[in-house]
Amino acid sequence: MIYLDSAATTLLKPQSVYSAVQRAMESMASPGRGAYPPAMQAAELLLDCREEAASLFSVEEPENVVFTMNATHALNIAITSLAKKGSRVVISGFEHNAVTRPLHALGADVVTARGELFDGASVVSGFAEALRGAELAVCTHVSNVFGFILPIAEIASLCKKEGVPLIIDASQSAGLLPIDMCALGAAFIAMPGHKGLHGPQGTGLLLCGESGRPLLYGGSGSDSRRQEMPEELPDRLEAGTHNVPGIAGLLAGLRFVREKDPEAIKNHEQTLLRQMADELEYCEELELFLASGEEQTGVLSLRSRRIDCETLASQLAERGVCVRAGLHCAPKAHRSAGTLESGTVRLSFSPFLSAEQISRAAAILRELLRRPL
Amino acid sequence: MMYWIMCRSLTHAQRSARLLERAGITAVVVKAEAGLSENGCRYAVKLSRRFEEAESILRRNDMIRGKIYRQDSTGRYEELRR
Repeated sequence: MIYLDSAATTLLKPQSVYSAVQRAMESMASPGRGAYPPAMQAAELLLDCREEAASLFSVEEPENVVFTMNATHALNIAITSLAKKGSRVVISGFEHNAVTRPLHALGADVVTARGELFDGASVVSGFAEALRGAELAVCTHVSNVFGFILPIAEIASLCKKEGVPLIIDASQSAGLLPIDMCALGAAFIAMPGHKGLHGPQGTGLLLCGESGRPLLYGGSGSDSRRQEMPEELPDRLEAGTHNVPGIAGLLAGLRFVREKDPEAIKNHEQTLLRQMADELEYCEELELFLASGEEQTGVLSLRSRRIDCETLASQLAERGVCVRAGLHCAPKAHRSAGTLESGTVRLSFSPFLSAEQISRAAAILRELLRRPL
Repeated sequence: MMYWIMCRSLTHAQRSARLLERAGITAVVVKAEAGLSENGCRYAVKLSRRFEEAESILRRNDMIRGKIYRQDSTGRYEELRR
């Protein structure tokens, strides 16, 4: 099997992640529910993980690192904390449904900043035009469909200038690109644990620049007589029992990323992307979505002029190549790129893939394209 | 004599204890006795030695966010007003 769907979930994890999950399941109870060793061990693990994330993403206090189920959960907390019905909210043209659906459900007045695929300057201009009078901005750091790296520092700077709070969706950038919460001055940054941070599914992080509004209400192991959620982070946003084994895996994943260095991981993935693009260069019936410069991570969208995307992905799957096809839960991004009707086939890379595997996958794809319908 | 530094959350208590540990001060994270936590279920950092030094370290790091109690050998608590 050649797994090319790491933008959905990094299936291949460091061995330390699997071991950490098992160790936590065997030895840890629920943090904040007792002062006995298995509960306190779990509490220590959670703080270790908060500290590791705070250090990697320059969050001022580890308390401001909140555990969530995934990035969608984190984005829902952030969005419902800052937007309400009728709020004017500016978003990029490359957002995922994890951003657009909560805004739609709230009845927010959503304005899409104009901006072309792989043209960061046009996105900055689009935000500059759209931000005046806005109550909130939400922007993805990297498009999950095209790997397009949006100029988030410039957008954050514009938001600061206009006094507009910013929520950043770092689903595709965490673990790959530098994210400095203090420098960006974002209200919230949301990220999954199971993609570039190499944790298990069911984990996510919300980095908080403010206290936020709870999305879930329930036990926090603190202030139990009060019927309101505690004021303090992280308890305020973490109702219910934590996913301790998941967080143990996430901590191991964060340590792996720190040790490998996100820049080195990104460079490896970009090298694989370029190799794949080179090996597919002479397939005339293929359209590859490639940036001309460095503004693309290890995510490559393509489509055939002859074979439907879902069919092509199924045929690849039959031959052991795992890719994702369709709209990737991001119709807005496809609309911006002109691929809404066809969708694309997305190939996404990981630090565990080799050049040899890329060559094999490219050969399988070329062979499929040569076959008669 | 025992000192109880009340904390706002378990995470806050753990961070306080880690800060003190790094300065070589032994402190443990405990669930506060019911009489010390008016809203129920509070964590505290408990220590028996080097209290003045510990308090100073925590204040310098903006980590004193609740009440502080001294417990005498009979078990009676007295709030320290600083």
